[in-house]
Amino acid sequence: MPNEKQLSEKESLQLITDMIEKVKNSYHDKGVGSLLWGTVVAIASFVSYLQLEYDFQLPFDIWMIVMAAIIPQIILIIQDAKTQKIKRHEDAALNAVWLVYAITIFGLSFFQLTVPNSVERLMHSNGLQLINHSINNSRPDQIIRPFPPSFYSLYILIYGFPTLATGIIIKFWPMIIGAIMSYLLFMVSCFTETKYDFLLGGIAALACWFIPGIILRLKYLKQKQAHV
Amino acid sequence: MFKELDPILHSQLRLAVMSLLISLKEAEFTFIKEKTNASAGNLSVQVQKLKEVGYIDVIKQFKDNYPQTTCKITTKGIEAFDAYVKALQEYLKV
Repeated sequence: MPNEKQLSEKESLQLITDMIEKVKNSYHDKGVGSLLWGTVVAIASFVSYLQLEYDFQLPFDIWMIVMAAIIPQIILIIQDAKTQKIKRHEDAALNAVWLVYAITIFGLSFFQLTVPNSVERLMHSNGLQLINHSINNSRPDQIIRPFPPSFYSLYILIYGFPTLATGIIIKFWPMIIGAIMSYLLFMVSCFTETKYDFLLGGIAALACWFIPGIILRLKYLKQKQAHV
Repeated sequence: MFKELDPILHSQLRLAVMSLLISLKEAEFTFIKEKTNASAGNLSVQVQKLKEVGYIDVIKQFKDNYPQTTCKITTKGIEAFDAYVKALQEYLKV
């Protein structure tokens, strides 16, 4: 490109349009992060459902695979930072959204792990305990531990939040649709048994991340092929 | 009466650089070079001119032991670009 060529007004406007278009075409989400999280959350949810439906227990907590997925995610972030030649205005907003989401999910897990124990302790200190009582006396009373009922519904609700924000920021319809599906599944899960909540959560993970991840990946590969 | 077009922006390579940077937070020199198909020498001179008038910031640093030059549009640059586009639209009655 010559440096000092004087342009006509029309050529100037065309050049601006071309350059903006070049920027648009130069950034492509590889879709790996979405695929990773969509896969692990869907697997953990479906296995949790199967454990409750068919009454079996794996020798380890299946949700540990979600924790393990943090390692490849960190590697992906470092690799991206090394190879990325541009920073978009929306990057900071997207990072903030996913950071808040991660903190919320950890906060929710912490709540789920600690609150039943705290409630049990408080009840005991007041001389109380929870009892499962059959209203038609068909079964004997049973002492139970406090638990947050239908808790996985809240996770389904939260899955929709970063997905919708990302979809709106990057103008990516599959994520917006995935998030809306997640909100609908949340509402359905409020009326279903806990085991079905896991099933609905698995579907939400597929809709929010796995399917948009596949679409992003295909777009990226197509674009890469076009540049070869 | 038409406004006079900003002579700093009304040149092919400088306008190309500004058009790339307007939609980004920042971009590496190598990225700008690749997208404008300009030679490194040519581009350096034009980037320097844009820096001198305060339209862009140029940050030189090391990344993985290699020198890295990053360019970033300034508020003054955004205003100038905006005024330039408005003037163009007036000319072309877009």
